[in-house]
Formats: sequence, structure tokens, C-alpha cells
Amino acid sequence: MTDGQPPKRPDDAAGANMGWTAVGYLLAGMAVWGFVGWLVDQWLKWEGIATAIGIIVGMALAIYLIVRKLGV
Amino acid sequence: MSGQAVAFAVEELPWPPSVNDVFLPSVVQDAGPWVTKFTLMVWLAVALIIVFFLATYRAPKLVPTKGQWLAESVYSFIRDGVGRDVIGKEGIKFAPYLTTLFLFVLVTNIFGIIPLLQISPNAHIAFPAVLAVLSYVLFNYLGIRKHGLGRYLKMNLIPDAPVAMLPLLIPIEFFSTFILRPLTLALRLFANMFAGHMLLLVFTVGGFVLLGTNNILTQSVSLVSFAMAIILTLFEVIVALLQAYVFAILTASYVQGALADEH
Repeated sequence: MTDGQPPKRPDDAAGANMGWTAVGYLLAGMAVWGFVGWLVDQWLKWEGIATAIGIIVGMALAIYLIVRKLGV
Repeated sequence: MSGQAVAFAVEELPWPPSVNDVFLPSVVQDAGPWVTKFTLMVWLAVALIIVFFLATYRAPKLVPTKGQWLAESVYSFIRDGVGRDVIGKEGIKFAPYLTTLFLFVLVTNIFGIIPLLQISPNAHIAFPAVLAVLSYVLFNYLGIRKHGLGRYLKMNLIPDAPVAMLPLLIPIEFFSTFILRPLTLALRLFANMFAGHMLLLVFTVGGFVLLGTNNILTQSVSLVSFAMAIILTLFEVIVALLQAYVFAILTASYVQGALADEH
């Protein structure tokens, strides 16, 4: 780094950050919309169907968010 | 006779290991939960870090001594590898906090394999939780101070997406940024140190339990158990280092996110 050029090495730290962020979104998506689905289940006595739909929708939304925010 | 004596000793062993092994009794009588082995270890860690830097930086030389070299290496490793690489130019001014955080987590983690100490305060959820709260307050404070509350929330909660999608996405953003971040920060460190402590207990105390049986076959298996305990102790060194580094780097990454300009 004495030549005044910015270091060109691949940024491990940034890569790890993106990994954690992606995992965080996936968990958050499933937790938030899975919970909403669970509430609907409690309300309408659907016995878990809404929870399942909520989790899948949450995952899909999380993947959308990840592509939107982290994708190039 | 001797078999009976050993069998008696085995019953005295704290077997099997359980969650209660990380809820330590008070050292001072009637002091409640405030003075335990954990709290003493935390003071010890703080003292060690202060003394280490005071001693090594007391008379800094142009050609550093061994101690000064070690202190400078640790500091520049965190300043450059975490502060500058993750946060950017502004990261340099967070180097003291990040280094202290890294060293505190590292020293308290290493306590888990130091003879006589043999447990890390981080194996109790309270200690990682406090560290996570510190990081949480830090990055939110920095973000609000730089952008103002409204713009900070807007930056963190409203992704760049069609308006129709926003009601579906904002709850996810909120949950992942303001709830999951501190939770996972604390849980990751706690779970690693707790699991490490349990593993070491299983193979060490389990080795003695096997040794205390009256069967030569099961007694010989205790050798495997002790060997595993030694291997896992070395493994715990890596875990201690890695978790301290991950804690520092994630704190830096959250600070970076809070200070970043509009995406």
C-alpha cells in the first residue's frame, strides 16, 4: 500500500456482511409473515394453513428484498 | 474396595452437564447474584486489558519492544481490518471502541479454557446481551445523529421498491434491522460459548464417569473421551478468536449501515 493505489484485494468483510444481511432478511421474512399467518390461523381456525402460506410468502418477499438490495 | 471408592467418587461428579452449570452461585455470602465467578472474571478481563495497554504503551519506542509490537499489531489489525475496511475512512475513529470490544470478547472467551477459570462469562446470555445492546445503541445513535430520526428510519425501513410492495416489505425491514440484529449478535456469541462449555464438560467429566465404571471396556473408552476433550480445547481457541472477530466486524458493519448515505 506504499504505491498510493487503493488495495485491490477482494473485500472479505463486505462479502461476509452481505451473507449475514441475506440470512437476516430470510429469517425476518419468515418470522414476520409466518407470525401474521399464525394470527390468521388463530382467528379463523384454519389449523396451520395460513401459517404455511405466511412463511412461504415471507420467504418470497425476503428473496425479492435481497435481490433488490444486494443484487448488482 | 477400591472399585467402591471410585464408584462413590463418580456419584459426586456433576454429571450430566446441564444449563445450571452456567448459573453460578454467589462468591460472597448473601451478596445475591452480583458477585459471582462471572462478575469477578469480567473485572479481571477489564483489568488485564487496561494493564496490557498501559504497560505496552508506557514508553513507546520507534523500534517497538515485543509487548509494544503485540499491542500495536492488535490495534492496527482492528483499525485497518475492521474499522477502515468495513466502515471506510470514517471507521478510523471507531477503532478504539472496536479494539476494546474485540479484546474484551476475546479475553472473556479465552477464559473458557484457562485452568481454574474454565468457563466464559459469555456462556451466560446476560453478558453477550449487554454487549449487543451497546452496539445497538451505538449504531442507532450514530445513524440518528447523522441523518435525523425521520430520514434514518426512512433509509432503514423503506426499500427501493414499487409502492404496492412496501406494506409487505417494511415489516421485514423493521424486523431484520431493529429486532433481529441485536438478537442474533447476542445469541451467536452466547450459543457458541455455551455449546463450547457443554462440549468440554461432556468429554472431561464424561471421561471420569467412564473411568469410574467397573468394566475394563468402558474404562478404556474414557481415553477417547479425554482425547476429544483436548482436541476440543484447541478448537475452542479458534472459536474464541473467531467469535470475538465476528462480533467486532458485525458491530462495524451496523455502524457502516447507519452512517451510509442514501443507497
